[in-house]
Amino acid sequence: MLPTGQDLDDLPPQPRVLLVDDDEVNLLLTAAALRERGFEVTEAPSGSDALAQLSLRAPDVVVLDALMPELDGFETCALLRATPGFESLPVLMLTGLDDEASINRAYQAGATDFFVKSPQWSLLDGRLRYLLRSSRTRNELERSKAKLARAQDLARMGSFEWWRGVAGSFLISAEGLRVFGRGPQDRLDFLSVMRMVPGDDRHVFLRLLRDVVAHTSVLITDLPLTLPDGRQRVVHIEAEPEFNEQGGVNGYTGILQDVTDRRQAEDRIRQLAHFDALTGLPNRRQLIWRVERAIESARRGGHEVGLLLIDLDRFKVINDTLGHAAGDELLIEVGRRLRGCVRHSDQIMEGVLEGLGNRSHRGLEAVGRLGGDEFVALLPEVADERDAERVAQRVLDALREPIFVGGQECFVTASVGIAIYPRDGQSMADLLRNSDVAMYAVKSQGRNASAVYSPQLAGHGKQKLELESALHKALERNEIVLHYQPKIDVRAARMVGAEALMRWQRGNVLVPPADFIPLAEETGLIVPLSEWALKEAARQAKLWSLQFGFADSIAVNLPSRLFERTDLVEHIHQCVSAYGVPHRSIQLEITENNLMKDLQNVIPSLHRLNEVGVEISIDDFGTGYSSLAYLTTLPISEVKIDRTFVRDLGITPQSSAVVTAIIALARALGLRVIAEGVETLRQMEVLHRLGCSLMQGFLFSKALPPDELERWIALTVLPRKAPWITQADGSTDLTRGQR
Amino acid sequence: MTAPLPAAQLDSEAIRRLRELDPSGSNKLLERVVAAFSSSVDRLLADLARARAMPTPDLTVIRHVSHTLKSSSASLGATALSARCADIEVLARDGRTEGLDAQLDAMLDEIQQVRTALAALL
Repeated sequence: MLPTGQDLDDLPPQPRVLLVDDDEVNLLLTAAALRERGFEVTEAPSGSDALAQLSLRAPDVVVLDALMPELDGFETCALLRATPGFESLPVLMLTGLDDEASINRAYQAGATDFFVKSPQWSLLDGRLRYLLRSSRTRNELERSKAKLARAQDLARMGSFEWWRGVAGSFLISAEGLRVFGRGPQDRLDFLSVMRMVPGDDRHVFLRLLRDVVAHTSVLITDLPLTLPDGRQRVVHIEAEPEFNEQGGVNGYTGILQDVTDRRQAEDRIRQLAHFDALTGLPNRRQLIWRVERAIESARRGGHEVGLLLIDLDRFKVINDTLGHAAGDELLIEVGRRLRGCVRHSDQIMEGVLEGLGNRSHRGLEAVGRLGGDEFVALLPEVADERDAERVAQRVLDALREPIFVGGQECFVTASVGIAIYPRDGQSMADLLRNSDVAMYAVKSQGRNASAVYSPQLAGHGKQKLELESALHKALERNEIVLHYQPKIDVRAARMVGAEALMRWQRGNVLVPPADFIPLAEETGLIVPLSEWALKEAARQAKLWSLQFGFADSIAVNLPSRLFERTDLVEHIHQCVSAYGVPHRSIQLEITENNLMKDLQNVIPSLHRLNEVGVEISIDDFGTGYSSLAYLTTLPISEVKIDRTFVRDLGITPQSSAVVTAIIALARALGLRVIAEGVETLRQMEVLHRLGCSLMQGFLFSKALPPDELERWIALTVLPRKAPWITQADGSTDLTRGQR
Repeated sequence: MTAPLPAAQLDSEAIRRLRELDPSGSNKLLERVVAAFSSSVDRLLADLARARAMPTPDLTVIRHVSHTLKSSSASLGATALSARCADIEVLARDGRTEGLDAQLDAMLDEIQQVRTALAALL
């Protein structure tokens, strides 16, 4: 049967009632009535029986007859309340209609409520449910109070109150006492709290407090304290006035919170935001702020500002040879020494300057770290550039002493570029750029010196900048083209492939690779350029195969950083698939130096490329200083004899010895060998005699645009109308025995 | 099933409420209540007889007997008996013996009538 009564949702589905009555008839009837209304009823015919039942299974509510022989309801209730765990169990005392004395006694014994016995069961049902609900609400309130106390404890927060004109009315909650490092039993009066505050802060606080009380305003402040155990804390205080019925203020109540950690975090964040974590020097952001302030001040005061850009020479070498940890150590020591070269002040933050009067900009003077091995010295007021040069000399001198890092002595030098406000720039950005120009001038003239910026210095840099931005646009404007130099097999007098070489058609000028490839490498543009070259080469291979049955490969030069890309194979695959040519249509050339520099990172790509049929050729072979043993382990197909050896062939005996050795080595390893830079018939003849019949060079053809190459084939190779063809024909018998 | 007419001593409203607690009668609630009343009365009346037989009647026992009978008879709808018990309880509580005997005798009579009426219910 469904229990009756409202709002059952928030009560247990079957509240447990312990029903105590010595009258058997009443016990029976009340139990039956309550069961019918959805209660689970345990019957007890006496008080002692009820107490025994309690310990077996705790009920949600107890209904207790007041008048019983032996242990009556009042005594039973008092005993129940004294039992741990039953302090707040709801107890309903059943009394007679006219029994006022019993009602009072019931409350004294700890009963929650009384109920006049009545056979109208719905009344009892309603009363019990009301008791259960209020008991639950009360429990929740208790729990939430406990939670609040716990939360305040966790938040290191507490409350306090103070009542005007009441002695000893300054009270701090137990949680608040913990904030002050005291136990809940301790008493802490206002004077004791004030004694924990350092003198100066105390005066400021007491003045604020008088002011707040006088104006009945809200108190919000942070108070530094030294606890009895010596710990330094910061306590945040917020208090509001309390008003009496007449509208007058009769006290203050508020909260206090230990915000030491937050304060420390804020200080730390400020430190991180404005100071370099490694050296502790002002960082780029802080430097910009300081330089801008210094410029403002100089504009007002009509003086000059000096900016020194200090860049360590060959720092990368130290980092690479001794490791990053040693590099860091070195930077820390350099930072320390540079600091000693100026009147460095750390403690400059927003809002501080105003108080220092018109010499305040002096406080901006500092050395900061821009990043990497670049430092900046800011001189907020210099008489002229010689002032700045003197500081630069101090910097160079400071680095003269060796620095001991990573277990060894390092000698570090720096190149210093100087820019002066207002002459060399009106803003931080201008000054930095121009000091950079001056610094680069020092680098190019042999380092370990300083230079003051001059517009002449900027000429070169400016040109470079323009070139760089033009190169950025060259690809999208289709200004980059590939020219092709044929690879010749002189035995058969025919073309066996071509090397693609990049050219920049900039207006009417054809920019040679030497003028833009280094810049492209420096700026990273080499990556999109190379990717474009691969695609273009694949397109050309397809075109030529249609036009004259070209079935050889086109070699594309790649820097090592492209081999490091894991998507290189996929990119080549896409290029050849797009034009429907086989993978072997593309050959890749990497210089020996490039390959050796990055061998470990390049090898995986070489293997994958080899697997899909893309051949690898080693360019400039013989110029590297590496052991040749690695060749046996690499999946390469071809070595190209460097042009410097070819040039001297027939002139110096050493060059032919080197070429002979390379050819012998290549043969032993089963590699193809090709000579580049062949310009004379004599060179061709010697190479041929030494066993190298594959060649490229001006003797045959310079690199040509694709249509001109086709014409060259049609007009020179096919009709066999060139001196080198007759020569090659004549010397075939020389090589026959060797190949 | 129509309920037998309650005797004049039993309040029909109370009996109806009592029957509602066990509408189908499957719990035999009425029988059990009547039996409980009967045994409770037997015990209480024995206590009462002993209390009255004393040289000075034991008012504590009389008060307890009348109190218990007051509420159990009320539960069964024996309003007249319950009212009589209430009167006796007040006399005993206040220590007044005047007219007590007559009241007690009347109570015994009424108990007999209630018992008969209850028996008729079953």
